Amino acid sequence: MSTATERLQLPLPRPNVLDLAPLYEVLRREAPIAPVTTPAGDPAWLVTRYEEVRLLLGDKRFGRSHPSPEEASRITTAAVQDGPTGSYETEEADHARMRRLLTPAFSAKRMRMLSDHMERLVEGYIDQLTSSGDVVDLHAGLAYPLPVAMICRLLGVPESDHELFSRLSERMADLTIGAEAHTAREEFFRYMVGLVETKRSSLGEDVISDLVRAQDEDPSFDYAEMVRLCVGLLFAGHETTVNRIGLGTLFLLTERSRWEALVADPDGRVDAVVEEIMRLGAPGDLGLLRYAHEDVDIAGVTIRRGDALVLSINAANRDASVYSDAESFDPDRPERTHLGFGHGAHFCIGASLARTELRVVFAALAKRLPGLRLAKELDQLEVRATLTGGVAELPVTWR
Amino acid sequence: MKVVVDQGKCVGAGQCVLAADDVFDQRDSDGLVDLLDASPPAERSADVRHAAAVCPASAIVVED
Repeated sequence: MSTATERLQLPLPRPNVLDLAPLYEVLRREAPIAPVTTPAGDPAWLVTRYEEVRLLLGDKRFGRSHPSPEEASRITTAAVQDGPTGSYETEEADHARMRRLLTPAFSAKRMRMLSDHMERLVEGYIDQLTSSGDVVDLHAGLAYPLPVAMICRLLGVPESDHELFSRLSERMADLTIGAEAHTAREEFFRYMVGLVETKRSSLGEDVISDLVRAQDEDPSFDYAEMVRLCVGLLFAGHETTVNRIGLGTLFLLTERSRWEALVADPDGRVDAVVEEIMRLGAPGDLGLLRYAHEDVDIAGVTIRRGDALVLSINAANRDASVYSDAESFDPDRPERTHLGFGHGAHFCIGASLARTELRVVFAALAKRLPGLRLAKELDQLEVRATLTGGVAELPVTWR
Repeated sequence: MKVVVDQGKCVGAGQCVLAADDVFDQRDSDGLVDLLDASPPAERSADVRHAAAVCPASAIVVED
């Protein structure tokens, strides 16, 4: 029934870095699984309602691989979540092995044990910021260095490489530079191969060392797959949390009462604040990519084998049929669940790491800098033109 | 209150540990759920039910 002219073009224009396109509300109500054209110009389904997004994330008939990858819809020209990944035949087994290898290293208990270390780092960043002027950049001085330091420590990557890998991450996710994004991904792979081979002679107690050992012992574990995993962990391990700290700060500081409520009781309120930041924060505005592995009828549409789906976590997390006053930032809301870390088999492996980082950051800021406020209007802030989005700067003052 | 976990479904997200670490843990070997208390006291009900609700693999069942 749908024709090309009826298809919505992604991305849907949004008013600013905190709010989303009002059209999502219409889509959730009238076309929760809608035919769209991706930024790369290919057809896909956009899923916007909480119920279907959650359902599809947990449904094994949808995966990240494609039965014939060369025919698959492309999502963007960036080199992350741009098309199918992995092997159609072995996706489930490969993914199970990956989870088995990585899950213990990112467990909730281990991440909690890192809290003290994170607190010391954050104290140091705040000391540095408060001694360097009246207006400082919280992005460069706190939001960026903490997740970078933590993921380097966990993966066993030299922190001194941060400028190199963060620049590569930025270019890989850039939506505006065309094929250059894929060149950056190749460079990132070469960097990782170099790192892996340097580490091989003296493997340590870190995640990349674990992966090198596992790949060495398991003939079915492809070398390129191992390198791809390492690149993915280093990319996702800092990009996402940096952005979340930035957006969280903006949610809290653009409405004074939100910040004051946290300042009044940092330890008592920080967990709920972090969950609300995870629900509402929408740095990139596409969604999680899946391909149908068989024909599926759902919500009045027929999805064909091979079709691409963009599961809009952002839209699902603001579904008014699930959340009361869904668009408003309210850590006291009764609904405590969200899809900010995904759902199902691919649930974010770094969720406990991210939660611990966010908790430490916002508790420390509320205690140390109760007078914190933005030094620039929201609309004046530079927004990054990458898949993962977020702000490029966060000028603040506290006096 | 009776709690049942399914390690076959568990994806090791650790959400349950964050919700109720006196009832759930993750095994050191593979990160999968380790049930510490299969019959937690009634006053733990809200947190245990929350753990079941946020489990991304629906691997936790709470029975009255």
